[in-house]
Amino acid sequence: MLDLVFLAFIGYVLVLGLRRPFLWVLLYVYIDILAPQRIGYSLIAALPVSLIAFAAAFGGWIALDRKEGARFTLRQGLMGLLLAYCWWTTGQADFPADAQTKWDWVWKALLFAIFLPLTLTTRARIEGLALVLLLSVATIVIGTGMKTILGGGGYQNLKFFVNDNSGIYESSTLATVAIGLIPMLWWFVKYGTVFRPHWLVTGFAAALTFACLLVPIGTEARTGLLCIAALGGLMLRYTKRRFLFIAGAGVLGLAAVPFLPQSYYDRMATLAQPSSDESASTRVAVWQWTLDYVGEKPLGGGFDAYRGNRFAYVMPVKQVDGNTTSVTYSEVVDEGRAYHSSFFEMLGEQGWPGLMIWLALHGIGLWQMERLQRRWKTAGDEATRWIAPLAAALQMSAIIYLVGATFQGIAYQPVMLMLVGLQIGLNTYCLRIDSARGLLERSVSRKAAIANTMRSAVAA
Amino acid sequence: MIDYFALALGHGLLAIALLRLMLREGLDVDPLIGEIKAETDANRKATSVAGRNAARRTKTVEQPQADGTSSADA
Repeated sequence: MLDLVFLAFIGYVLVLGLRRPFLWVLLYVYIDILAPQRIGYSLIAALPVSLIAFAAAFGGWIALDRKEGARFTLRQGLMGLLLAYCWWTTGQADFPADAQTKWDWVWKALLFAIFLPLTLTTRARIEGLALVLLLSVATIVIGTGMKTILGGGGYQNLKFFVNDNSGIYESSTLATVAIGLIPMLWWFVKYGTVFRPHWLVTGFAAALTFACLLVPIGTEARTGLLCIAALGGLMLRYTKRRFLFIAGAGVLGLAAVPFLPQSYYDRMATLAQPSSDESASTRVAVWQWTLDYVGEKPLGGGFDAYRGNRFAYVMPVKQVDGNTTSVTYSEVVDEGRAYHSSFFEMLGEQGWPGLMIWLALHGIGLWQMERLQRRWKTAGDEATRWIAPLAAALQMSAIIYLVGATFQGIAYQPVMLMLVGLQIGLNTYCLRIDSARGLLERSVSRKAAIANTMRSAVAA
Repeated sequence: MIDYFALALGHGLLAIALLRLMLREGLDVDPLIGEIKAETDANRKATSVAGRNAARRTKTVEQPQADGTSSADA
């Protein structure tokens, strides 16, 4: 039954796309994020829906789209360069079979992120992509939030639609993405044109924000807590009454404390004492290993190069016997521990060149969004006043992603790469407005100059 | 049950959003950029040599007619 509902929805979008092929691009975004083929059981799992949507999106753009205003930009070039470099390192990888497995999805994510901005030529398309991205993630977040409230949660206990701990269905990744999309959600409340400002939209946004904040609690993802802190810090920039905001956030945080489960406190306590938790304490060891590794192999070891690591460290082990708690220190040997950081993931797998390209990709994005905010913040007309707030929301999302990425290997996360595509699309769109207005001003001056010349000639 | 509710809500909203996008005029051609370009084209036409010549021709055709009308009246 569920399979048929998914197939009916995909068929519905494919039919709508016959009139507007851009909708096929949005269909691929939906399938790539929500992965209905992994939620369903039989029919949909057997069909290559992702491939069908990609072929429709790309084919529709090539054959039917106007392509007016499509530009190939520096950041798309950087992603192309990263794609080529990843292909090269995959050929030289330490673990060729594992590298090939990761390459199989990374190239698709990067290629789609390169392609996506070419389709974002109008305001409606930019908003459409942002909305489909948001609603696809919201579908997962709504379920997660409701389960947290009604059934508790717990680290690796909370069940998602898909429970293979991969992609967006990994708890820390979902927490980062959910928190990162909150600024964009509130942009829709004020500037949305598909769903216009309305009390129903505001109510939905408030409920969804609450659900997003519940994701790090329900999944007990420590990274999520850091992302919430980052969001709070970033919001200070756009808040007029900062002290009131800080006090309000403090009161809200304190009010939430009694409702949090003990297991959440225990897990968050490891943030301050990383040595007491294996997952946290190995991070530092893996990062140190990665630095040593690229000292020998500066060009990187290809995807999944971390599988070669092995290290021993001392960890405290608590034993509770009645009222007595004894702590003994035992040596733990770890092998093949993942990077637990996108920065070190890029460094270990793609070496210094790969890390530099990745940093440039995100650094330029932050700078472009900052520039757009400053350039358009005084725009008062309906046609352009949405630009600066959207640039601010996208910049906040990118910073929250980078905070989350510091503690998890999500360097090629498709949702984040789609956000990069959205940033590029917005930047190109604004450059086109500026360019068109520049031409208009020149044509007006020329017209005025000719009118003056003719008037002088007639007078003479 | 929660999963079905979340999937139904998410897909319902997506279906409405996509339908509204499909019906939207400005999805494939941006109205703002289109408007600016149309204005620029109109200005260019007015200032181009061909445009000015056309305007002059119109003026010279109108001028004798206006003169003729005034002499006949006189």
